[in-house]
Amino acid sequence: MDQQRGTKDDPIDFDHEAPDHAENWPEEFRELRERCPMAWTRSHGGYWLATSYDAVVEMARDPETFSSHKTFDPATGTGSGGITIPFTPIPRGLPVESDPPEWDAMRGYINRRFAPKAVEGFRQNARTFAAALLNRVIERGEMDLVNDFTGPVPAIVTMQLMGLPLSEWRQFADPLHAMVFTPKEAPEYLSVVAGVDWVFQRCAEEFLRYKDLPEQDGLLSYFAHQPVNGRMLDIGEVLSLSNNIIIGGVDTTTALTTHALEYLANHPDAKAQLMAEPKLVPFAREEFLRVFTPIHCLARNVKHDTQVAGQALSEGDRVMLVWAAANRDPAVFDRPDDVVFDRESNRHLAFGSGIHRCIGSSFARMMFEEMLAQMFARIPEFEVDYARSRRYRSVGTINGWETMPIRFRAGAKVACDLEL
Amino acid sequence: MEVRVDRARCVGQGMCVLHAPLAFSLSDEDGCSEARFRTVPPEQEDAVRHARNACPEQAIIITE
Repeated sequence: MDQQRGTKDDPIDFDHEAPDHAENWPEEFRELRERCPMAWTRSHGGYWLATSYDAVVEMARDPETFSSHKTFDPATGTGSGGITIPFTPIPRGLPVESDPPEWDAMRGYINRRFAPKAVEGFRQNARTFAAALLNRVIERGEMDLVNDFTGPVPAIVTMQLMGLPLSEWRQFADPLHAMVFTPKEAPEYLSVVAGVDWVFQRCAEEFLRYKDLPEQDGLLSYFAHQPVNGRMLDIGEVLSLSNNIIIGGVDTTTALTTHALEYLANHPDAKAQLMAEPKLVPFAREEFLRVFTPIHCLARNVKHDTQVAGQALSEGDRVMLVWAAANRDPAVFDRPDDVVFDRESNRHLAFGSGIHRCIGSSFARMMFEEMLAQMFARIPEFEVDYARSRRYRSVGTINGWETMPIRFRAGAKVACDLEL
Repeated sequence: MEVRVDRARCVGQGMCVLHAPLAFSLSDEDGCSEARFRTVPPEQEDAVRHARNACPEQAIIITE
C-alpha cells in the first residue's frame, strides 16, 4: 500500500469485501494499524476503518455516539444505518440493529434463552446431532467437512432453538451457507436468495401456527405467547429477531470449527496435546476465535461529531469496527499471528464488545466443543483435499470455507437415537 | 485482595469463568458475571488476576 494518511482528503484504497483483501488481510491490517488505525476509504460510499484494539473497543462501548440502529422502507428498498457496509436492503436484525432503550427491551426479552444454563440444556442434543451426521459418512471414508458436518450441526441446533422442524435441516442449512459466499452476479444467486427467503417464511408460518397451540419449547412459540414490555410482538419484530438469531448462529460457528480442525490437521503436536488434555480445549477454542475470527468486522453509525485515534469523525459517517484486526494488535497480544493455547490473557473481541456482544456465544462455545470431541473420537486423522477446497472469496462477511473435502480411515456407525 | 464485577461494564464475555471458575459465575438470566466472594481466598488470587487480565470489558475490579 502507499502512504496515504487515511483522512477524507487523503483516503486509503481499501475494500473489506475485495478478493485480494481476502488473500492477504493479516498483512494489510498490520500495515494499516501501524500507520493509520482510523482510516477513511471511499469504497461503498465511504467509511472509517478501525484496526487498532483501542479504537475498536472505544467505539463498541459507546452506543450513545456509535449507533447500530437501522431504518428500512420495504416499499422503496431504501434505508440507512445498521451494522453492514454496504447497507443491506432487507429488514433489520433485532436486537443487534437497535440502540437503547429499544435494545434493552429486546435483548432482555431473549437473554435468558442464551445464558450458559439454557445452553447446557442443548448440549446432549448437539452431541446426538454431531454423532448422527458422522454416521452418514463414516463408512465412506470421505466427506465434505463443511457441508456434511461443521455446517449442519449449528444449523440443526439453531432450528431446535427456534422450534423449527428438524426434518427440514438440509433445506435450512444450505441456502444460509451459500448466501455467505455466492456473488451477486452468479447465475445461482437468485435461487440462493429464494432459499433464504424460504427459511424466514417458515419462521413466519411456524410463529403463526404456535399462536394456536399451548406454549412449548422453541423461541418461535415463546415469541407467540410471551409479551415484551406488556405487548405482543408483531410479525416484523419476530422476523427481525429470527434474522439476528439465525444469521448470527449458523455460519459463524461453522467457520470457527472448520478453521480449528484444519489447523489441527496440519499441527499434529497441537492436536495430540488437546486430545491428551481435554481441559485445554476451551483455552484453545478462545485462541482459535482470536486468530480465525469468524465475523471480521461490523459497522456503526456516528451520531455526533467526535474524535477517535486522532481522526475527526462527523455526524452521519459510517465506521467499520474490525474485530479481526484488533485481535492481532501487538499492543495487546504477544506473537499476535501465532496460535498459543496457554496465553495468560486472551482479551479477544471475536464476539464483539459492549452491549451488542454476541448473544449466542455460549451456543458457539458448546457446539465447538461437541464437534471437536466427536471428530477426535471418530475421525482423529484426516487429510484435506486442498485441490478441491475453497475459502470464501471475500472475508467481508465471514472468514470461512465454502467447501473442504477430507479423506479418513473408514469406521463404523455408532448407536444413535437419531438418523439424519 | 478484594474483587468485584462492575455490572455496568460486564456484558457476559465469560472469560472470567474460564480462568477462575471457582471465583465467578454467570447469571442464568443474562449471562453476566458475578464474583462468588468479595475477599479472595489466597489460593484463588492468581486465577482472579488472570480473569481480570482476560476480560475484554475490563469489568473485573481488584483492590489489593
